[in-house]
Amino acid sequence: MSVIAATGQPSYLEEGFSLWSWITTRDHKRIAILYMVAITAFFFIGGAAAAMIRLELVTPRGDLVTADTYNKLFTVHGVVMVWFFLIPSIPATLGNFLIPLMIGAREVAFPRLNILSWYIYVLGGIFVIYTLIAGGVDTGWTFYTPFSTLFSNTHVVLAVMGVFVVGFSSILTGLNFIVTVHRMRAPGMTWFRMPLFVWANYATSIIMVLATPVLAMTLVLLALERVLRVGIFDPALGGDPLLFQHLFWFYSHPAVYIMVLPAMGVVSEIITCFARKRIFGYKFMCYAILGIAGFGFLVWGHHMFVSGQSMYAGMVFSALSFMVAVPSAIKVFNWTATLYKGSIAFTAPMLYALGFVGLFTVGGMTGLYLAAIALDVHLTDTYFVIAHFHYIMVGGSVMAYLGGIHYWWPKVTGRMYNEAWGRVAALIIFAGFNLTFFPQYILGYLGMPRRYHEYPPEFQVLNILSSAGASILAVGYLLPLVYLGWSLFKGPHAPPNPWDARGLEWKTSSPPPKDNFVETPAVDPVPYSYSPEVKPA
Amino acid sequence: MSAAAREMGPGEWREQTSSLGMWVFLATEVMFFGAVFLAYLYLRTQYPDAVSEASRHTHEWMGTMNTAILLTSSFSMALAVRFSQIAKRQTVQRLLWVTAALGAAFLALKLTEYTMEWHEGLVPGLHFTIARNARVTQLFFFLYFLATGVHAVHLAIGVATVLWMSWRLRKPPFPDWRADEIDVLGLYWHFVDAIWIFLYPLFYLVSLQA
Amino acid sequence: MNSPPPVRVYAVTWAALMLLLVATFVAAHLRLGPFNPVVALAIAVAKVVLVALFFMHLKRSSALIVLFALVGLFALAILFGLSGADYATRSIHPAPWVAPAGY
Repeated sequence: MSVIAATGQPSYLEEGFSLWSWITTRDHKRIAILYMVAITAFFFIGGAAAAMIRLELVTPRGDLVTADTYNKLFTVHGVVMVWFFLIPSIPATLGNFLIPLMIGAREVAFPRLNILSWYIYVLGGIFVIYTLIAGGVDTGWTFYTPFSTLFSNTHVVLAVMGVFVVGFSSILTGLNFIVTVHRMRAPGMTWFRMPLFVWANYATSIIMVLATPVLAMTLVLLALERVLRVGIFDPALGGDPLLFQHLFWFYSHPAVYIMVLPAMGVVSEIITCFARKRIFGYKFMCYAILGIAGFGFLVWGHHMFVSGQSMYAGMVFSALSFMVAVPSAIKVFNWTATLYKGSIAFTAPMLYALGFVGLFTVGGMTGLYLAAIALDVHLTDTYFVIAHFHYIMVGGSVMAYLGGIHYWWPKVTGRMYNEAWGRVAALIIFAGFNLTFFPQYILGYLGMPRRYHEYPPEFQVLNILSSAGASILAVGYLLPLVYLGWSLFKGPHAPPNPWDARGLEWKTSSPPPKDNFVETPAVDPVPYSYSPEVKPA
Repeated sequence: MSAAAREMGPGEWREQTSSLGMWVFLATEVMFFGAVFLAYLYLRTQYPDAVSEASRHTHEWMGTMNTAILLTSSFSMALAVRFSQIAKRQTVQRLLWVTAALGAAFLALKLTEYTMEWHEGLVPGLHFTIARNARVTQLFFFLYFLATGVHAVHLAIGVATVLWMSWRLRKPPFPDWRADEIDVLGLYWHFVDAIWIFLYPLFYLVSLQA
Repeated sequence: MNSPPPVRVYAVTWAALMLLLVATFVAAHLRLGPFNPVVALAIAVAKVVLVALFFMHLKRSSALIVLFALVGLFALAILFGLSGADYATRSIHPAPWVAPAGY
């Protein structure tokens, strides 16, 4: 597959074909591919656990797996999907590939640190896979104390080590992106000419750098307490289990924004391109990104309304949580306004992006229910919460990730995927997703708690619907693997700019040469110049 | 060439890029230690009297000595950074030796202190024999060993890196990017010092009044 | 970076740090009641400011670097502030809770 670009330079894929040339690379584009392979493997491990969960829940009795196994299944599903798929998904793959291209740079600021972060990710992954082989862990992905420290007799320390290690991979990625955006922008690439994808990843990087270390130290405290049987979370010694929750959610709530902000960046790129219209309210979008990242640090206590946290703190956290809705709504309105009177092409990436907007809105709105203390008391730890955050993380982040993969697939691989199959898969995923998770809102509202392998028979119809949806979703997730894989060998060669898109990444060949650009590209004075500016009458 | 590099010139751009990277990393480190400081704040505000009593088991003279050693090591590190900027290779090398030696002295003293604390039965979970005020004392020393232990690991990494750097300076040339490396190493060293500046009053100086 | 400041600046900083160390040690032995921790922490902050401004040459650094030096402290303030909002308004009752057997 020799793709000699118009530039006459070999592409980054042709800079060496040996395994060695890949695992010792410092090229941000190759590192992106390494990440893509690794997180796809973990996505299917986490997905397999989810499939087992849904299979168990087809019947009200626990007849497929034991309660203990069920606990391990949802824990593995959570740990793998959160830390080994969603957190690195868009930043480490698309972000790594695109940020230098989009700002007109030849590389990231610290190329060696970049490959190191991938190795750290793999090391963390080995811990988690070893945990699975050794017999699993049953605490739930939240590792709540004192269960995780004093009672659980599964491999908590191993699992916690894996999460501790992988955290440093996202810290290093974040550090690299921050410095890259500050120092590597091409002449003319001012802050307010940067693509929103870069803005989103910049804000995400700030969260990664500031929140992840808190989780790391919290897990150290947890592991030591488990090993030594003495620790600050132990109420018998005068410690406070809620301190664990404060520290854990100080990371894990902003982590939601680590997952969804880059997704918003992807969606902004896709919608403006396939609506053939300039993004509406570009600067507001930038401020909204920063606003979401900032407010994201102030709301963690809404995970603790029924934990015994002070009522007054609960009220403060509730009010702050409502405020996150403002910048989020600005973004949804601006995407909608971008679509208004656009000439919309319903390509596969666009279907994912439109799916994102709808599902994120549903997930966000139900988030407001959960931010209201009185309602949250009723809904805490029910399937309503499960449905809510899956609408954000799967309906939001995974949809956007897949949309982004399709949108930039020609750039990354130099090949076009099959558009018809792309659209079919996007529609299957959208339908399967809603069938899986919408019934869970109802189940939760009716009172079905999360994390049980059995349930009263009257919940069975909705559970069967959900499991049926999950099987459709599974087909939808396997399809891209097939036709994208096929396109690698048989797909037509991609031109440099197949979508007639704006942005510097389209101004180089597909796939780009090792140094991205033959000469530093000229920056558009106006970002997203798809349509002539419409002046108000 | 990026816009920043064109504006600053390649030398300053390189220096500014590496130090920005280190400062972002130090922001991470602040939050890493921050979690322990929050745990400490909880314990201290929840049980002020019991924490006071527990803190009397620490060896305040050794802590004070170590503070003086570490502050002095930062002084020599800062001088090393200063002289690296005017490419005085041999001076830099000697100052780095002094810095590493002071860091090692700190670690040696800390290790002696840990040994004494082991014999006094102050190590929670492994060898703890204090009966009076046992619960909070255990938690206090849990945090003490964690905070000072993580600090000592950081310092050990610093000592090793400083030694490696001074070994690389044993003969010329002294390329100007070497000064950027030493500058970044200095930032890390001073940060480790700054963490100790807080650990010292929080663990040693709680309750020395007669 | 422009030519470095004279050695004297570093020496004075070091001397000031040692003086502050003596001051904090002495103050810890005085009966100041609630002001003991206040004085100890104020001196610690003063020392760190000296280290940051002169040893870490924050005084001569760009605004961007000063910003990143402060952003971690800002996030830390959020962590302490909002957790503190809980602890300040919650009365902690010791749990009627017994350790499991073999503990």
